[in-house]
Amino acid sequence: MSLLERLGRGHLSDAQFARLWSSRQSGARLGPHLDACAGCRARFAEFETWLLGVGETMRDEADRAFPAERLAAQQAQIARRLETLERPARVIAFPKAARAVMSGHSHVRRWVTVAAAAGLIAGVGLGQVVPLRTAMFRQQATETIAHFNGPGGETRPKEQAAVSTSLRDEELLSDAYAQPKVRNLSALDDMTPHARDYIK
Amino acid sequence: MTGTSPALAAAREADAAAASAVKAQQAAGELEGARERYAELVARHQRRASRIAYHYLRDSAEADEAVQDAFVKAYQHLASFREELPFDVWFTRILINGCLDRIKARTRRERWLLPMADSRTGGDSTAPFRERDMTERVAAGGPSPEQALLGRERREQIAAALAKLPERQRSVFVLSHVDGRTSREVSALTGLNESTVRVHLFRAIRKLRALLANDVVAATPGELKGKRRVTS
Repeated sequence: MSLLERLGRGHLSDAQFARLWSSRQSGARLGPHLDACAGCRARFAEFETWLLGVGETMRDEADRAFPAERLAAQQAQIARRLETLERPARVIAFPKAARAVMSGHSHVRRWVTVAAAAGLIAGVGLGQVVPLRTAMFRQQATETIAHFNGPGGETRPKEQAAVSTSLRDEELLSDAYAQPKVRNLSALDDMTPHARDYIK
Repeated sequence: MTGTSPALAAAREADAAAASAVKAQQAAGELEGARERYAELVARHQRRASRIAYHYLRDSAEADEAVQDAFVKAYQHLASFREELPFDVWFTRILINGCLDRIKARTRRERWLLPMADSRTGGDSTAPFRERDMTERVAAGGPSPEQALLGRERREQIAAALAKLPERQRSVFVLSHVDGRTSREVSALTGLNESTVRVHLFRAIRKLRALLANDVVAATPGELKGKRRVTS
């Protein structure tokens, strides 16, 4: 508080009212200025009303969120929770039937397991010794080429295989000048521009 | 505002007697009796606790849970309660710590997750109660729709202004104005020095006054006469 206010010549601001109100909480006096100045006393009364109104509104808001029914439900819930605290948790046993079904035939299960393991090992061993997969794939590839070559193509499977397996740049270029090997496509090839027409 | 009113002193004596009885019954293994006696304490402090929790958390469902947790925790740890401290102060301390823990957890959650719509306004969780409350008020000839609207606007303004206060100022203001605590009690509840409490309170009031400068005073001075402190 400034000296001017202490002498009672200046009027009090809201901040000073707030300070006065806060200090009054601990029983301090309001101050000489309020005793002397009727205007400030009236403003302080208005300030106090506003402040109490704020508190009242806040309580009202909380009470609207917690009506009597909700408080009663809350109380019941607290009582239930306290009751639960005193009871130990129930442990539900796992159904016995699920275990009993398997436990009677444990020797059968063991034999099945051993046989499955033996079969697996034998399969892996045979797979290492006999190149079954490679042979099967080679035969399948030959059949596919023969099918695309059409009639008479059966006579040249080795040639086709040689073409398909040795693809080098020179051979690819020579293919660009060559006539098509598939007869069915020769009509289409005639309509298509060729590299040999442009490269001299 | 320094001393304790006779009504409050009597209520505290009753609290102390009930708390001692519950402790004794717990020790003797008479758990049903202990729970029944504790229900008295719950009934006496439930509304006050709900108000505090609501203004800390700003969500009625979460406030409800916080109040329940605080009562359960107080029951479990009643053996550590010392009679020289009023039960309401001891219990409110548990409640505030619970609320602060929830605020921390919420802050952590919101850092990682998208904020859920209306989760902090409490609008959804209290909607059934509010709707029913409105119909009851209309049927009972309560405030007019205009008054209800003005009242709601005022509550929203105050809530928004309060949300702008720093945590300590808000805490001190809520305990002082909503719960009607003296500076000494707020000091005991928050662990702050009494003079620090007064400084926080002064700053909170000054800031609220500035933020609510355009706030129309709804109540006349006569309406609030004799409502200086609420202890219930």
